[in-house]
Amino acid sequence: MRSHSYDFVPGDLARLLAPTLVFVALAAGLLHAATRLNLLPRPRPTLDVDRTIVIHKTEASGSRQDAEVLLMGDSSCLMDLSALKLTTEIGRPVLNLGTLSYLDLNAHGTLLRRFVAANPNQPKAVVLLLHPEALRRPAPEQYHTAVFEHFVAGADHATKRNLAHWLGLEFFRTRLLCRALPTPLGGAYGRRYGFSSDLQSYLTRHRGSAVDPDPKAFQGNPEYRLAPQLESKSRAFKAAVPTGVKLFVAITPVPAGFAPPNYAQQHRQMLEQWSQWLGADAALVDLPPTLPDELFAKTTHLNEAGAAEFTTLLARRLSAVLSRPE
Amino acid sequence: MLFNSGVFLKFFAGFLLLYWLVRNNLRARNILIVAASYLFYGWWDYRFLGLILLSSVLDYFVGLGIARQTDTRRRKLWLTLSIVANLGILGFFKYFDFFSTSLAVLFQKLDIPFQTSTLRIILPVGISFYTFQAMSYTIDVYRGAIPVCRNLVNFLAFVSFFPQLVAGPIERASHLLPQFERTLSINRSMLEEGIWLIAWGMFKKVVIADNLDPLVNMVYQSDTCSGPAVALATIAFGFQIYCDFSGYSDIARGLARVLGFDIMVNFNLPYFASNIREFWQRWHISLSTWLRDYLYISLGGNRRGAARAYVNLFMTMLLGGLWHGAAWNFVLWGAWHGAGLVIHRAVAGRTSRERASGIRTVAGWLITMLVVFYGWLLFRAPSFEQIVNMTRALADWSIPAWLASYLTNLTVFIAPLVIVEAWQFRSRNRLVALSLPAWAKALLQAILLLAIILYWERTALPFIYFQF
Repeated sequence: MRSHSYDFVPGDLARLLAPTLVFVALAAGLLHAATRLNLLPRPRPTLDVDRTIVIHKTEASGSRQDAEVLLMGDSSCLMDLSALKLTTEIGRPVLNLGTLSYLDLNAHGTLLRRFVAANPNQPKAVVLLLHPEALRRPAPEQYHTAVFEHFVAGADHATKRNLAHWLGLEFFRTRLLCRALPTPLGGAYGRRYGFSSDLQSYLTRHRGSAVDPDPKAFQGNPEYRLAPQLESKSRAFKAAVPTGVKLFVAITPVPAGFAPPNYAQQHRQMLEQWSQWLGADAALVDLPPTLPDELFAKTTHLNEAGAAEFTTLLARRLSAVLSRPE
Repeated sequence: MLFNSGVFLKFFAGFLLLYWLVRNNLRARNILIVAASYLFYGWWDYRFLGLILLSSVLDYFVGLGIARQTDTRRRKLWLTLSIVANLGILGFFKYFDFFSTSLAVLFQKLDIPFQTSTLRIILPVGISFYTFQAMSYTIDVYRGAIPVCRNLVNFLAFVSFFPQLVAGPIERASHLLPQFERTLSINRSMLEEGIWLIAWGMFKKVVIADNLDPLVNMVYQSDTCSGPAVALATIAFGFQIYCDFSGYSDIARGLARVLGFDIMVNFNLPYFASNIREFWQRWHISLSTWLRDYLYISLGGNRRGAARAYVNLFMTMLLGGLWHGAAWNFVLWGAWHGAGLVIHRAVAGRTSRERASGIRTVAGWLITMLVVFYGWLLFRAPSFEQIVNMTRALADWSIPAWLASYLTNLTVFIAPLVIVEAWQFRSRNRLVALSLPAWAKALLQAILLLAIILYWERTALPFIYFQF
C-alpha cells in the first residue's frame, strides 16, 4: 500500500520558500552594506555583566570627568572600594576605573591614557590596586582582552562565524539592539542590578564602584606570588602615568581565615617588589593584608560592609600621602 | 533532542529524505516513524526507551484482550490492568519521591517516628503525555468508541510519534491512529501551513519565551521583591509558559503537517478568554478534554446533581494540577482553577445567558486574567513560603530601580504575540497570516526567521512542559 503522495511540484516548494529567502538575503545585504558604509552606530555589545563593565569603564575613561584621583585595577578594585565614599572622605573627586581580573596592566594603561587624553592635566593621583590572585596571573584572558581592544577601536568583536554573523545580525545585535534594549543580567547580578543599562547607571552614580552581589564560599589556592610577566607590564603601565601625577600602589585584602601563614610578611614583600617594578611614588603598605572573613563576599571581593571599611582605611592613608609636600 | 537545537534540524532533514524514499510503502513508513521516534526519544536517555516500549506493548495487548472478550467483567479486568500498570509506572517514576517526602514531613509534624526513603528517580521526559495518550486508547477500546488496533507497528507509531511525543498534544487514538493506517497526501497548502506553524512556534519559543525566562528568574529567584516586581514577573511568566508550550504545540503540528499528518489544536488564543471556563476550552485543549472525557465523566460528571458536579469538577482540576508535577504548588494551582471553575459554574447558572455586553465581556476578561495570572504565581513559585512572601509583596508598591528596563523588555517581546493573536482573534482564524498577499507573507516569515536566527545561538533552553 502506498504510504504518502506528494501532491505538489518542486516549483511549488520554491515559490513557497524563495520569496522569504529573498527578503532574508536583502536584509543581510543591507546590514553588511550599512556597516561597511559606517551608517550604523559603533558596536556597544552590553550583552552580559563582564562586557557591560568593560564598556562602561572604557566609555568613562574616554569622557569628560571631574576626577582628580583615579582608582585603577582588577575586580577587587571595582568591588572593594566605594569611590563615592572616598570622594567625601578625602575631599577630592575620585573615579573608580577598576575593571575585571581578566584584563591586565596593559588594558589598565590604555584606560589611563584615554582618561588623560579626555581630561588633560586633571588627574593628580592614580591608585593601582590588584588582588594577590591577579598578581600571580601570567596572562590576561584572551576573550576579555579582545572585547576590550575591539571596543576601544570601535570594531566588531566576532566570537563565532555562525549564520547570525553571516547574515549581518551580529551588527544588528551589537550596534542597534544593545543600544535600544537593555540586556537582563544573569544570576545574582540580575537580582541586584537588573539590566545592563541599570548596572551602567549604578556605576555612573557610584563613580565607577560596584558591590559584589554574589557571596560564595572561599575557594582557590592561597599561594600568592608575583608573576614574572608582571615586571614588564608594570613598567609599561608606569609609562602611561603622566609626569606630575602620583602613582600609589596597593594589594587588596584577602580573608583572614583564608590567608596562608606569614601572609602579612609576604604581602609586604610582594607590594614592595611590585612598587619597585612600577616605579611608584608610594606603596600603601599600611593597608591591612587581611580583613575579617565576615567582611568578604568571596575570596577576591569584599562585601558592602567590607568595602566601606576598606574605603575608610584607604582614605586615611591617601589623605596622608596626598597632603605630603612634593 | 530539542526542536530548538541544531541536532534536531539535522535529524529532521535526514528524516525527510528517508520519508521520501519510503513513500510507496506504508509499512516501511510506519517502521521509519517508530525508529526515528525512538531515536528522538532515546537521545535524552536510552534507558527511557524501555519504559515507553513497555507501556506501548502493554496497552497494545490490553486492547487486543479487551476486543477478544465479550464478558463485561473480563473486559473491565483488562482495562484495570492497563490503568493500574500505566498509573503505576507514572506514579512510581513521577510521584514516589514526592509522596514519600510528603509523608515524612507529615509524620514529623505529628511527632511520629517514620522511616522514609527517596529513590532519586530521574523523571523520563514526556512520561505524563504518552501515558495519557496510551491510556486513552485502552479506555476508548473498552468503551467501544474505537476499533482495536491489530498492527503493533502502527500502535507503536501512534504512541511515540516524535512531533508530539514529549509535550503533546495528547492525541486521541480515534484521530491519530487511523492516519497511520492510510495513505496520506501532502499538498502545497499543507506545506504552507506546516512551514508557518513551525516558524511561528519557533518564534514563540526561541524569541519570546526564552527571552522572558531571565526576566522571570530575576524576580522568582530573588529573596526580596516588591509588588510591581512580582506582578511584572508573573505577567512575564504567563507569557513565557504560554509561548513555550503553545510554541511546542505549533511546531509539533507544523512538523506533522509537513509529513501529511494532522494533529489536534492544543491552544486557541487562551488569553482572550472572558471567563475561566472559556480559558480551559482554549488552554491545553488536549489535556482539558482528556480530563473531561476520562476523569470528570468517569467520576459521574454532572449526572448526579449540582453538588456532586461541583465536587467532580474540583477533583478533576486538583488531579489535573498534580498531573503537571509532583509538588504541592501544582496541586494548589489545580485547586485554584478548580475553585474558579466551580464559582463560575455556580454564578453562570444564575445569570442570564443573553449575549454579554461589551463592558461585561471586558470585566469578565479582566477577572479571568487576574485569576489565571495569580494561578501562574502558584505554578511558578518553588515553595509555599515563596507563594506567601510574593502574595504579601503584592501589597508593597515600592518601585524597583530596573522598572523601566523591565517594562521595555516585556513590551518588546510580548508585543509581537499580542499583535498577531489580536489579528487571529478578530479574524477568527489562527492561520490568518496565510491569507496575506505573497510578498507580505514572505516578509513576515523573513522577519520571524531573522529573529529566530538572532536568538538561536544561545544555549537552547528546554521546553518547560518537558518536565511534566
